[in-house]
Amino acid sequence: MDPTKLTIGELGQLLRDREFSAQELVLLHFDRIEEVDGEVRAYLRLTQELAYEQARIADLAIKTGEAGPLTGIPMAVKDVLCVKGVETTAGSQILRGFKPPYTGTAVQRLFDAGAVMLGVTNCDEFAMGSSTENSGYFPTHNPWNFDRVPGGSSGGSAAAVAAGAATFGLGTDTGGSIRQPAALCGVVGMKPTYGRVSRYGLIAFASSLDQIGPFTRSVEDCALVLETMTGHDPLDATSANRPNDVRRDLAAGVEGMRLGLPKEYFDVAGMETGVKVAVDHALRVLESAGAKLVEVSLPHTDYGLAAYYIIAPAECSSNLARFDGVKFGMSEQDAQNITDLYTRTRRKGFGTEVRRRVMLGTYALSSGYYDAYYVKAQKVRTLIKRDFDEAFAKCDAIVSATSPTVAFPIGSKTQDPLSMYLCDVLTLGGNLAGLPGVSIPCGMSEGLPVGLQVLAPQWREDIALRVARAYEVASDMRVEVALV
Amino acid sequence: MLARIGLEPGDEEFYADQLSGILDHIDRLQQLNTDHIAPTAQVVEVTNTLREDVPRPCLSQEEALANAPAAVDGFFRVPSIQEET
Repeated sequence: MDPTKLTIGELGQLLRDREFSAQELVLLHFDRIEEVDGEVRAYLRLTQELAYEQARIADLAIKTGEAGPLTGIPMAVKDVLCVKGVETTAGSQILRGFKPPYTGTAVQRLFDAGAVMLGVTNCDEFAMGSSTENSGYFPTHNPWNFDRVPGGSSGGSAAAVAAGAATFGLGTDTGGSIRQPAALCGVVGMKPTYGRVSRYGLIAFASSLDQIGPFTRSVEDCALVLETMTGHDPLDATSANRPNDVRRDLAAGVEGMRLGLPKEYFDVAGMETGVKVAVDHALRVLESAGAKLVEVSLPHTDYGLAAYYIIAPAECSSNLARFDGVKFGMSEQDAQNITDLYTRTRRKGFGTEVRRRVMLGTYALSSGYYDAYYVKAQKVRTLIKRDFDEAFAKCDAIVSATSPTVAFPIGSKTQDPLSMYLCDVLTLGGNLAGLPGVSIPCGMSEGLPVGLQVLAPQWREDIALRVARAYEVASDMRVEVALV
Repeated sequence: MLARIGLEPGDEEFYADQLSGILDHIDRLQQLNTDHIAPTAQVVEVTNTLREDVPRPCLSQEEALANAPAAVDGFFRVPSIQEET
């Protein structure tokens, strides 16, 4: 039994049974990181000092019988979530050296529950990308095949969990940035309902779409981490004040549930045969477990990507205005005047994809184009949300592939941004409509993991997790750690 | 100009090419008739969330300036914002 391959549930029991201490567990994980991360490159920075201090406190809690289910559990944190005193850079050179003066709410709640932070994980710069190749530092490699991408933007956290380099990880999902890397790395990943988890302390990309969520090795773990982060936070006005019911009826099964299969999601361009076969098999498993499969339609699917690539860049161009060389991060101090300072700092600090999206966003918001692009996209967003409302009148949850392809070769999409954007065609609808969605592994194709996505109506994480859990049980699915 | 990202010679062609490909894709939105559709800015039904206006502890001046590339006398320092005339 190797502790770097176990779930939170299994490790928690072993810690409480004193099979090993939290400090020993941290040590084992840093050994594992040493062993695999030279090739995977999931981590940007390790936080050893913080980890040992948190583990020491966790061991005290275990000794006094005050340990909770997350006490002493090692986690990886995406480089967009502020942790006090720990360099946080959003995968960008422009924030190099930035040490946040506070810890964001979601991370703080996990710290309060006893989780132990191992380090900061790599991501696409400002979470813009689907492969982690847009990182301002280096690309991360898929633990199942080093020549392939881990997905993105939260590729570092997904790869860390898949490689046994953390028991769980945190990511953010704006168009698929948790679900897609979870699928490509063969782990469980969830984007909650917009407003479920506080965004305080998250470096913003597109504020009407961003949500924080977990990467784990089981659905039960996913529910536990989500439940811990959930809840109203006065510091995020969009965080909801609702009952924390995400794991209600988790083990109730799918007997009698109606699972909607959107025909547009099954006919999507570029769908690989191997993915289709694995997903079809998963649907049969759910059917055998008692679910009823019904066909539904999301007629505006073909317009989702276009609407998304106006709304997300528009919001990002506004959010990223704060990176100006004045308040934090990189600064070209020998500038002649203030405009020169802004321009030179941003020229040097932002990578290609960020520049592309800032240009697209400022264009879509500029006077003369605002109605034709931005307002138009917001209206189409209404149509997309309405599609989901109508589909959910006919089913309890929507099931499909998470990504039309398995992990693709590093470098294969970097020259053609549109081909990269198409990676998120099955996930970004969930962000536009604010829905919760989970991706769980459902087999392999070409030696690489395939993900099954379950989307549920707003605030019904319980349904998405219940379907995922039912699949996990019926298929006897267990998340495997790559690089054994 | 609006974006202040400092394009250099050669950049314009590179981005123009890629952005026009993306804009071609985006143009498909014009096929949809949205005359009577209300725009959606955000998807959850919260509006104008207010909290009590109660003073609470905040970052000290020192903490707020800790990441500043240049600070002087408790202020962020920037290059001149006006040209000499």
